[in-house]
Amino acid sequence: MFNYKTAWLALLLIAAAVAAVVITPAWLIQPFAPQSQNSIQLSYFLKSWSPFATWIAAIVSAGLAVYIWSNSKKWLGKIILILPLIIVAVFTWFARQNHFEWMFNPLAQAAYAKVPYASFVNDDDMVLAVNINGEAVAYPVRQMAYHHIVQDVVGGMPITATY
Amino acid sequence: MRDEQTGSWWQQITGEAIQGPLKDQKLVAVDTDEVSFGIWKRENPEGRVLSPDEKTLADDMYESADWESKVGRMPVKVDAKMDNALEPRTLIVGIVVADTAKAYPFSSIEKQNPIIDTVGGQDIVIFLGEDKRSVRAFNRNLAGRKLEFLRTPGSSSVIMDAETGSTWDFSGLAVNGELAGKQLSKIAALKDYWFDWKTYHPETRLYALGPK
Repeated sequence: MFNYKTAWLALLLIAAAVAAVVITPAWLIQPFAPQSQNSIQLSYFLKSWSPFATWIAAIVSAGLAVYIWSNSKKWLGKIILILPLIIVAVFTWFARQNHFEWMFNPLAQAAYAKVPYASFVNDDDMVLAVNINGEAVAYPVRQMAYHHIVQDVVGGMPITATY
Repeated sequence: MRDEQTGSWWQQITGEAIQGPLKDQKLVAVDTDEVSFGIWKRENPEGRVLSPDEKTLADDMYESADWESKVGRMPVKVDAKMDNALEPRTLIVGIVVADTAKAYPFSSIEKQNPIIDTVGGQDIVIFLGEDKRSVRAFNRNLAGRKLEFLRTPGSSSVIMDAETGSTWDFSGLAVNGELAGKQLSKIAALKDYWFDWKTYHPETRLYALGPK
């Protein structure tokens, strides 16, 4: 039977479920820790579905909130209502963030210099280097350790350099 | 890594898609070299170099010159399966030939440069660059002849072969002697941490420093 109490219970359960669905992949795939096949699979599944699932949860929560609001006699109940709604809203937003890549800073517009003009690299700095069809390119490790991924075309071959 | 087109997740070290629509597809690895800029620009005077991003540079966000040694001190969480042959963050150079993986502790290469060995039936030699940081591996069979390499007596970095006494530079080119002008063919060698290498090559062998 649907009443004021079950509406509250449903709202709290949805808030907890949304939090779990969004936190789980972020927690499983934390930096500097190894992952298993299963945890990666679970994370990918949750991460793929959570934007959709959180929308549904947000809409249902809004409906429940309207119901609770109109049936609540006390102001306190109306005020506490904000808490689960904030939780649902925050995680609905977070599910749309590419948080795995917050640590990485892809280089949108990569620029290159010929060797005589590359004064920004010291001789004893390490570089990651490729030579494809006679074209030689060096990616300084100090820059790659920040950007991690650079897309390029070397000797006619599209490559991604990653560190 | 994630691709923008399908959203699949890619494993960085193997180039294999591990989740998503492209799962089990594999990118083709391009031969790469990890050397110091001084060596690279001498060998590639016509090459091009990735320029620093102006904003990142202005914000001073790039890693510092001693970044490698800083990372070396970072803690590692590893699976319990990890053996204790080496400390997890020991720097090694890994080579794979015919499905046989072998790891060479960087300290062994420093001590013994050059290292001659056989991996997966392939006779190889490992050279340490004059910067004492860059490492390259080569096939040491040249035109049907198996070469043995050693440090030229009285020199810390000049390498010669025992068969002809020719001297060789870090690019695998004979610069003096009977074999002058001959080029050894390169073998992929990856500078890595022991824990990382062991994770992707659980059956890897580990090079033990010889008697000298």
